[in-house]
Amino acid sequence: MSDQLQNIIKQQQQQQQGNLTNNETKDENIVQLVGFVVGNEEFAVPILSIQEIIKPIEWTKVPFTPDFVLGVFNLRGNVLPLIDLRKKFSAGAAEFDDDVRFIVIKVGDELAGFVIDRLTEALRIEESSILPPPDTSSIEKEAVIEGIARKDGRIITILKISSLLKTNDR
Amino acid sequence: MDEMQEIMEDFLVEAFEMIEQLDQDLVELESNPDDLDLLNKIFRVAHTIKGSGSFLNLDVLTRLTHHMEDILNKARKGELRITPEIMDVILESVDMMKALLENIRDEGTDVTDSINIEPVVAKLDAISHGQSPDAASAPADSANNSAPAPEEKVEEVEVATEEDHELTEEELANMSPEEVEAEIERLLRKRQEEDKKRREAKKKQQTTSEAPKEEPKEEPKEEPKEEPKEEPAPAPTPAPQESKPAAKPAAKKDDKKAVPAKKVSTVEQTIRVDVNRLDNLMNLIGELVLSKNRLIKIYNDVEERYEGEHFLDELNQVVSSISIVTTDLQIAVMKTRMLQIGKVFNKFPRVIRDLSRELGKKVNLVIKGEETELDKSIIEEIGDPLMHMIRNSVDHGIEPPEERVKLGKPEVGTVELKAYNEGNQIVIEIADDGRGMDPEVLKQKALEKGIISEKEAEMMSDKEAFMLIFRAGFSTASKVTNVSGRGVGMDVVKTNVEKLNGIIEVDSVKGKGTVFKIKIPLTLAIIQALLVSAQEELFAVPLANVIETVRITLEDISAVEGKSVLKLRDEVLPLVNMSDIFKIEKILGINQYLYVVVLGVGANKVGLIVDGLIGQEEIVIKSLGEYLKGIRGIAGATIRGDGKVTLIVDVAALMQLAKETHSRTVITETFTEAKKKKEKPEDYVVLIVDDSNTDRKIMRKCIEPLGFTIKEATNGEEALNIIKSDSNIDAALVDIEMPKMDGYTLAQEIRKYNRFKNLPLIAVTSRTTKADRVRGVEVGMNEYITKPYTPEYLQNVLKRNLKLS
Repeated sequence: MSDQLQNIIKQQQQQQQGNLTNNETKDENIVQLVGFVVGNEEFAVPILSIQEIIKPIEWTKVPFTPDFVLGVFNLRGNVLPLIDLRKKFSAGAAEFDDDVRFIVIKVGDELAGFVIDRLTEALRIEESSILPPPDTSSIEKEAVIEGIARKDGRIITILKISSLLKTNDR
Repeated sequence: MDEMQEIMEDFLVEAFEMIEQLDQDLVELESNPDDLDLLNKIFRVAHTIKGSGSFLNLDVLTRLTHHMEDILNKARKGELRITPEIMDVILESVDMMKALLENIRDEGTDVTDSINIEPVVAKLDAISHGQSPDAASAPADSANNSAPAPEEKVEEVEVATEEDHELTEEELANMSPEEVEAEIERLLRKRQEEDKKRREAKKKQQTTSEAPKEEPKEEPKEEPKEEPKEEPAPAPTPAPQESKPAAKPAAKKDDKKAVPAKKVSTVEQTIRVDVNRLDNLMNLIGELVLSKNRLIKIYNDVEERYEGEHFLDELNQVVSSISIVTTDLQIAVMKTRMLQIGKVFNKFPRVIRDLSRELGKKVNLVIKGEETELDKSIIEEIGDPLMHMIRNSVDHGIEPPEERVKLGKPEVGTVELKAYNEGNQIVIEIADDGRGMDPEVLKQKALEKGIISEKEAEMMSDKEAFMLIFRAGFSTASKVTNVSGRGVGMDVVKTNVEKLNGIIEVDSVKGKGTVFKIKIPLTLAIIQALLVSAQEELFAVPLANVIETVRITLEDISAVEGKSVLKLRDEVLPLVNMSDIFKIEKILGINQYLYVVVLGVGANKVGLIVDGLIGQEEIVIKSLGEYLKGIRGIAGATIRGDGKVTLIVDVAALMQLAKETHSRTVITETFTEAKKKKEKPEDYVVLIVDDSNTDRKIMRKCIEPLGFTIKEATNGEEALNIIKSDSNIDAALVDIEMPKMDGYTLAQEIRKYNRFKNLPLIAVTSRTTKADRVRGVEVGMNEYITKPYTPEYLQNVLKRNLKLS
């Protein structure tokens, strides 16, 4: 019984994936991203890695963590780490004004919240137009940069999701 | 295919259970070789596994069990006496069965290169043919060994069945195993048929007489009849063949009697449930407990606001019934996850047996309270530490027999393994009557290894000295044996127990023995905790580790060698401030009283200074996740009734941290540091909050003459931000009607913070009704001034609130 079910689910998944790849090939490998501002720079992460975007809520400090780890917060019964990208990228003192958001991103199997200054827009960028990261950026940033994209004269840094939660920098 | 898979899974579950039982029974059998019931039971297990194995085409497993069954069958018939040597081989084959079953579970087949059953099978064969197991160390056919065998047999096989075996020997030497088997099968069938007829005849008889009474008699009647027949048998038929037919029906009968009975009870009373489902259920209950806590909190708020209203009664009833049901539900689900600790204990008779043979010691294991129940996850985790401690007790605790006799102790040492409930905890005791531990020797060792300093050694109590064996890098064995020295030290044991929120206690009397006590909570998921605050932050301390809470004044703290201690009754406790441990910035001024939570882990005690005691609460433990795990002193987090996250303290780690912090910080000093001196008027900062520019100017004019530093905010929100970010504000003059956030709300928000509990808030407003004034007091305003006012009046009020003359 369960095997049959699994088969059906598998088939459905395959169909979906098929659809996806079809769409993508039609659009010549368009990457969908969500853009946001941290400090003076614009960053972006793949739209599918984002679980949700929420307004700032209360969090609890956790001792013995670097200053960019603000602590943990409660997202519907789950305890998630909260990381201030502004502090992580040394973008200076972080005020919590009305535009500040928590972006909840799935990093590997873990969910985590990231504090950003404000959202910009959903971006559609051709994969071929993404450039490799320049070596001039600071070491802290370099490790987490996937690539650089240009859009309407803006320079957008695409972040490498997998390296946002590196345990060794904690 | 699926059906086969299902059968296979059932078989594996059953087989693992049976083998576990087998281990225990075999060890018991060794001390009781004549217990026929036990033998029959063991035989049945081997038989059942063989039967199911052959059905599932597990040829290797079947072959192995088949040979084992042979020996057991002979033992059952009294043709073979189980000696320790034979038992070694049987146990070895049981281990191999286990390995095969594991392989089947993991790989789906019992054909693997890593397990070679042939040597064991050869040994089993040899025994079954009356030879010593060693004779078969070369996997040769028994025929090759027929010559040297009789000599060895005299040495190894003790009892009077010798005659019998000699015959067997000769006969078998001339027969290939296949022939023997075929012959056995043939005779078996024949005998079974005869037996059937006989039984049917008997049944007819029984139906007339009293049936149930006859049944049990049948067996003993048959056995003695059979026994004398074969014992003297000089007949050409080899004894084992004769005996087989008799044995089989007996076993069948037993099966028929035992198995249906078991099936009835298991089918009706238990269901096998996937552990994941139970885990899921437990998570859901956890959510429910959180919601319940939240509901209670909301009810308390509502009760305050609508005191005396009729619907409150009704609400109260609903809330309490929900909370009772939730608690019951939680207990019920917890119980479904409970397993008897016997599941773990059952492994140990075998361990002790192997160990005592290996070490040449005589040890008797006494197990008590195996029916005590513990959460499944704990049962899984506790096995290894227990195993290590038992090994330790036998290896280091129990003396060799000669030494024991010399000391006037019984030759056989005793290790007692005991489990019992104690309040909300389970206690597992491992007691031996061995040589005990000498605290002085332990201290000396620890000194040599540099684990403790000389001063520490001097101050150490005996109990603390015993705890030294749990320090990393400490081993009391002068030579490393392969028993205790398997790479895991007692420190690992302690860490593992602490992972389960448990504690270990040791007590020992030199020459008399040692008692280890492991105390663990019944369940891991939901615990009782004491909520405390350190500055603005809340922490949950597992109640199991809280000994007491006391309120002290600064004068109660004394300093010993630059470290703060508290004399509590006849004890001297090291004192540490929780804010120092977690490096929380001190923003609170000093209060007259300090709260001290006395924490205890094992023999260690520490006084933890906190800024507030919030109360006791049932909390659901949640992990901090991969990224934040492993933070020292933090065991996890919980979500409280108000939806906020509160960190749970890892008491064992906290106490370690406390020790490190303790040596650095003198509490009284850090407290005096926190007091900031304010002498001149400029040192005082007053915040004026008003949306009207004119009003702000008027206020400023009024108080400027006093020389204070003045800050301004145009609405409540702005004021709150200023107060929060700059904790130097000494007083605030607050207008009530303002955009964004009014004065009442501002006061409420400010009072939410511990550090602003005493901040003077003075309402300056044109609202003059009594209701407004009452509201002002309710939200936490210290004073209520109505416009217009004279400058002198405002100055006086401000001075009074800042305690300036």
